[in-house]
Amino acid sequence: MIEASGLSKVYGTKTAVAGVSFTVRAGQVTGFLGPNGAGKSTTMRMIMGLDRPTAGSVTVNGLPYVRHKAPLREVGALLEAKAVHTSRSAYNHLLAMAATHGIPKTRVHEVIEMTGLEAVARKKAGGFSLGMGQRLGIAAALLGDPQTLILDEPVNGLDPEGVVWVRNLVRHLAGQGRTVFLSSHLMSEMAQTADHLIVIGRGKVIADAPIHDIISGQGRSRVRVRTDEPERLHQLLAARGATIEAPDRELLEVTGLEPRAIAAAALEHQVMVYELTPLVASLEDAYMELTKNDVEYHSLPAAEVSK
Amino acid sequence: MSSLTTESTPSPEPASAPGGRNPRSGARSLAGPTFFRVLNSEIIKFRSLLSTLILLVSTAVVMVGFGALSAWGTGQFANAATRDPQAAARVASQGGDLAISVPTSGIAFAQLILGSLGVLLMSSEFTTGMARSTFAAVPKRLPAFAAKLVVVMVTSFVVTAAATWVAGLAAVPILDNYGLALDLGSSQSVKLLLVNSIYVADVAAIGLALGTLLRNSAGGIMSLVGIFFVAPIAFQLIPGDFFKEARKYLPGNTVEPLTAAQHVPDTLEAWQAGLVLGAWVLVPLVLAAILLKRRDV
Repeated sequence: MIEASGLSKVYGTKTAVAGVSFTVRAGQVTGFLGPNGAGKSTTMRMIMGLDRPTAGSVTVNGLPYVRHKAPLREVGALLEAKAVHTSRSAYNHLLAMAATHGIPKTRVHEVIEMTGLEAVARKKAGGFSLGMGQRLGIAAALLGDPQTLILDEPVNGLDPEGVVWVRNLVRHLAGQGRTVFLSSHLMSEMAQTADHLIVIGRGKVIADAPIHDIISGQGRSRVRVRTDEPERLHQLLAARGATIEAPDRELLEVTGLEPRAIAAAALEHQVMVYELTPLVASLEDAYMELTKNDVEYHSLPAAEVSK
Repeated sequence: MSSLTTESTPSPEPASAPGGRNPRSGARSLAGPTFFRVLNSEIIKFRSLLSTLILLVSTAVVMVGFGALSAWGTGQFANAATRDPQAAARVASQGGDLAISVPTSGIAFAQLILGSLGVLLMSSEFTTGMARSTFAAVPKRLPAFAAKLVVVMVTSFVVTAAATWVAGLAAVPILDNYGLALDLGSSQSVKLLLVNSIYVADVAAIGLALGTLLRNSAGGIMSLVGIFFVAPIAFQLIPGDFFKEARKYLPGNTVEPLTAAQHVPDTLEAWQAGLVLGAWVLVPLVLAAILLKRRDV
């Protein structure tokens, strides 16, 4: 469990985090969503004791991170993919990290295997692709078999297989009763991974609610369809319960039907479709939607949460 | 317990460290970063970088090379002195024993290389982002700093001492050619070897402190060059008694009084030199430790 109360960080004149309070619970995946520069990484660095809060405090399992006797066994973190010396091999990096806590070599080999790094473990980490760097960061986070995981943008730069792997991994870890806190600026990624969402913008918590509440609060997925018979397709899709907008000639934006269902309807009636694009709700959409619906999901003021 | 595996991989009981899985267990206090574990980690980090090895080998090569070169030059000089009464007088005025400092003649380069190694040991942590991993593993920070200090000082001492010894071995036959004797076992030889090696270890410590304070490799190395190469020359060129006096207190000018058989004019007394060198090491280290503890990583 991670508990932040009134957590603030000011760099010179710039306020990165402005008094955020939240609780990340064990046994579920908590997403930390916000645009770049919203204060996600700064918050995570403060949890890990790397940055000193200007005000407020944050604890992991009841203690500030710095006060834990065996911090790596308590919390594993991926803070930035390349928190590694570029000239050192992945294996030696993990070995050195493990050595600080007397974690045996066998565990180093285990995390290398888990993260699929066997082939590159002896190569310099500086030559790694972003995706490989992410895997190495995740391997380091898993070293101490920690009860709490903090992952900053873990899917950034991963290939689709890697994205699915991270998704399964964090779901699995949460299923074991661990606390998983992961950040992303992709709403779509969060939708598929997180149980609970904390949305942050300009250093403040905008929303702190179960994922279903947030997703259903903002529109369902839309599909962009281009066809040379827009009127006919409009009728066909409307008959199947879709909501349709027509922002342009030959262009429809369909809400409430999957691309597959749209294609099936078009095929059945011999309507030619020359574009079928799922419109993934971007963070910007969600973010704007959320600020509009501020009241509905607004977090408690710091004073009430921390009392 | 199945360890941290993906759902598809049912794994047998992994060799996870004692007390690792269940953080509520009483064994947890045994599982944390003790100083020796942190030291072990820093040794692994130190030996797993090619650049470290290159700097250490360079130091040894330069020390031995300069020892041999200096033996040859000293022999030539002594040879000339036997035919030239003026040169003979110069030799006599230098205490007569030219050969004694031949093994340590490359020390100026050793201090620069190993001082830079000290800088890099910490600055590279910050330039590469490794610092976040290091100080997440050791959030109290100072054990990691102390471990780095031990690693760089011990290595610098050992490498300098060994290279000085080998330089002496290489110099003896060359000097012998010119009829000069060098006894590597004499108390003055041993004193020169030990004091110079301790001195180079101290320079490496100053380098580590500069790397920690500046968090920048070029800045740290240039500061080192400023203190050990530029300042002594600049202080000599600037007229006035103040700079003449101040020059004695530069760290590079503390070795001579510490190793000379008799007191050399215009230098500190040996005990003063020891204190001054100690201050040059301690003050930056303490400052670096305080700031490392306080600043954000």
